[in-house]
Amino acid sequence: MAPKIEYYCPCLSESPHPPPPNLPSSSYSFHPLHNLFFCEECDAVRCNRCVLVEVSGYYCPNCLFEVPSASVRAEKNRCARNCFLCPNCRNTLTVVPSDPPENVDSRTSPIVSTTLGEPPFFLYCNHCRWDSAEVGITFEKPTGLAAQLQKFEDSAPESLEFERLKEHFEPFLRASSSSSTLPSASSHHVHTNPITAAASSALARDIPGVGKYNPLSRSRVGRDKAAHRQEYPDYKSRVEIGSAAALSGEADVEFLRHLETVSEVAALEQRWTNSWVSPLPASDLKPLRIPLQSKKSKRCPSCRHILIKPEQKAQSVRFKIKLVAANYLPAIAVTLPHAQAAIEMLKRTSKSASAAAQAEEQQAAGALIAGHSYSFHLAFTNPLYDPIQIRLAKALAPVQTAEGDAAAEAAERARRSTFQIQLPSAAFPVGAFAEAWEYDDEDEDMFLDDDGMEIVEARGKKGKDGRGKTRSVGIVEKRANVTIVSGEVLIPKEARGDVRFNMLVSYTYRSDDPEPSEEAGVGTPSRSHGTNKAPEMKNFSFYTVVDLGPIMYREEPKLTADL
Amino acid sequence: MDLPIYYTRAEYIETDTGNKVSRRATISGPQNIILGGKTIIASGAIIRGDLRRTGPGHAVVISLGRYCLIGEGCVMRPPYKTYRGNFNYYPMKIGDHVHIGANSIVEAATIGNHVEIGKNCIIGKFTIIKDCAKIADNTVIPPNTVVPALALFAGSPGRFIEDLPESTPEMVEAQTKQYYTRFQPLPAER
Ligand SMILES: [Zn+2]
Ligand SMILES: [Zn+2]
Ligand SMILES: [Zn+2]
Ligand SMILES: [Zn+2]
Repeated sequence: MAPKIEYYCPCLSESPHPPPPNLPSSSYSFHPLHNLFFCEECDAVRCNRCVLVEVSGYYCPNCLFEVPSASVRAEKNRCARNCFLCPNCRNTLTVVPSDPPENVDSRTSPIVSTTLGEPPFFLYCNHCRWDSAEVGITFEKPTGLAAQLQKFEDSAPESLEFERLKEHFEPFLRASSSSSTLPSASSHHVHTNPITAAASSALARDIPGVGKYNPLSRSRVGRDKAAHRQEYPDYKSRVEIGSAAALSGEADVEFLRHLETVSEVAALEQRWTNSWVSPLPASDLKPLRIPLQSKKSKRCPSCRHILIKPEQKAQSVRFKIKLVAANYLPAIAVTLPHAQAAIEMLKRTSKSASAAAQAEEQQAAGALIAGHSYSFHLAFTNPLYDPIQIRLAKALAPVQTAEGDAAAEAAERARRSTFQIQLPSAAFPVGAFAEAWEYDDEDEDMFLDDDGMEIVEARGKKGKDGRGKTRSVGIVEKRANVTIVSGEVLIPKEARGDVRFNMLVSYTYRSDDPEPSEEAGVGTPSRSHGTNKAPEMKNFSFYTVVDLGPIMYREEPKLTADL
Repeated sequence: MDLPIYYTRAEYIETDTGNKVSRRATISGPQNIILGGKTIIASGAIIRGDLRRTGPGHAVVISLGRYCLIGEGCVMRPPYKTYRGNFNYYPMKIGDHVHIGANSIVEAATIGNHVEIGKNCIIGKFTIIKDCAKIADNTVIPPNTVVPALALFAGSPGRFIEDLPESTPEMVEAQTKQYYTRFQPLPAER
C-alpha cells in the first residue's frame, strides 16, 4: 500500500487536536483533501460529516428526468416514468413485448423499440433474466407502467394504514405548523418541524414517563403546552395488528417448511429497499420503481454559509458555489524514496513478470523494516496565487495522566518501541500557483526527472546524527508551486504496527481581507489578486495524519512460524 | 511525486496532436476512428472502427477526446442492435479525460468527460455514462444502463455505491494530464 496523508476535521471532537492516529476510531476524523470544504466565514475546514445538507433537486438516476418537488411526494420518491429495478439483482428492467424479434441470437438481450411488438408487455432483466410475467405482472400497453405499479403499491395494507395515520394527524399538524411557522422558517436546522412537534407531544401524552423532545428554549415549552391541551380523537387502525402478524406468520412458517434451497427466500438486500413489507419467497418479489436521487447543497454547520451549491440541471457537474478545501490548503503528497527507487529498478529489470507478481515485488521492496531508518518525502502544492511559508510540527501525543513508577516505566518502554519522526524544523516557501503552470504539463523539464535524487544530496541539509549517514531533513526540491521536503523515520527493532503519525501544518499567506466576494463561482476569493491593499499576513494551521505503511521484519520465515 | 511510466520508443507511434498509439494495439478501420489528442492507446488494445453502420459514405464509429487512456488489452467495440428488422452498429462517443483500465470491454454508446473506468470491467451495449462518473475495477454494467454524473458504480450488475466528491472534475483532469506527462520513452533511448 502506498503511503498516504489525510486531513483532519475537528467536528467529531471537543478539542482542536486530533485523536492519536493509532486509535482505529481516529480514521473517522481524517479525510482526503478533495473530500473537504472550506468556510471562509469561519476560516475552518468542514467535512461531509459536519456540513448541513439540503436537497436542491430530485432526479431519476436512470431516465435522468428532473422531478419537481411537488410530484416527488405524490409519487413517493420514486420514478413515475418507465424505470424499474429488477427485484432479483437490482439491474434496470427493460420493457419487452410478447413476441421477441426473430433473427436475434439468444445471447443478446431483446432490445426492442417499445413502439413495436405485441401485447402483453412485461419487464425483463437483461442481467439475470428475471421477468415480471413470473410474478404475474404484465401490461396491455408499454406506457404508463409506473402508474399501474404504483396503484399496486398504494393498495398495500401498510400503505393504506399509513395514509390513514396521516389523515388522522392532518388537522393537528396544520394547527401546530401555523403556530410554529416563525421559528421553523428562520432556522430550519433546529429540529422543530411540525411533524416532530406533533409526534413528540403525542408520545408524551400516550406513554407515561416519556418527556417531550424539546430542542428549543423555555419560551417555546409554554406554547407547546398550549398546543398539547388541544384534544384530538383516538386513532383507530384499519388492521388489528395482532391478527395481521398471525396471518403472515403462519404462511411464512408453511413456506419455510417446504423450502428446498436457501435462494427461495428473498435475501435481506432484495427486501430492504421496499417501502412496505415485502414477501418472503424470492419468487414473489415485485419490480421496484427506481428510487429518486437528489442534488445537494451543503452549508457550514456553524455560520450557515453555503459551501456547495449545484447548478440546477441534474446532470451538470458544475456548481454555482463550490468552496472546497483544495483551493485553500496546500495539497500534500507523501512518498518513500527508497520504495520508489526499488520500483524503478524492478520496472527496468523484470519486464516479463505478471502484474500481480510485480505488485508483490514492489510491496516487498518498499517495506519499512524494523531496526532501520528511512527518509520520506512530502510534496506541498500551493493552490493560492501568492507564495506561502509552511512550517511543520509533529503533533504531540496526548499527555499521559498515569502516575507512579510502573506507569513511567511502561511509558518509557512504549517510547523505546515506537518509531521516531524527524521533520524539517525551519519554515520553507512554496511558490505561488499560476494558471500557466497548468498548461506546462507538456514541458518535460518541469517534471521530476532522474536528477531529483542528486538534488537531495547537493542541497539538503545533512542530518547530524553522528552516524555518518547521508540522510537529510529539509528542502529536496522547489519548482513552480511545488516544494518537496524530506523527513526521516527511525524504526527501533522492537517497533510494531504502522508508521502513522499526526503532523501539524501551519502556513502563512497574504490575506486579501476584508473585501467581501460576491462574485461566487468565478474562482474563489482567496485566489483573487487584491493588489490595491497593503498585504496582510495571516496564518492557518491544520492537522494531518501521515501513514507510511506497516513495519516489517527481516526474519520473514520466523514471522510465519510465530503465527 | 509520481514516477514516470516508461515505454520503449519503438513500440509507440506519436501523432502530430500528441496521441500515442502502441504498435501492438489492433486498430481496425482507422479511418472511422477519431482521437482528440494526447490520448494513449496501450499494448494489446483492440479498437473496432471497422464495425460501422451499413450504408454509403464516411462514418465516425469511435471518437475519443483529449487525454484519454485505453488500457492494455481493452476492447472497444461499437454497440449494435436490430431495429425494425435491420441489424446495425451504432457509434460510440467518448469525451475528454477518460481513462479505461486494463482488460476492460467497452460497448457503450456515450461516455462523458472526466470518467474513470477500472480494470477488468464490462461496459454493456448502449450504456450511457455521464460526466465525472467512476466505474470500480471488475464491474459489470449490463446493456442499456445509465450511470449518472458524479456517481460511483461497482459490482455485478454494477450499482450505485456513492456520490463522488464535488472536486472530481479537477482531480480527474489533473490525474489524466499527469498520466500523459508521466508516460514517456525509456531514458536510455533519449
Ligand atoms: Zn467535519
Ligand atoms: Zn426514471
Ligand atoms: Zn435481474
Ligand atoms: Zn462557517
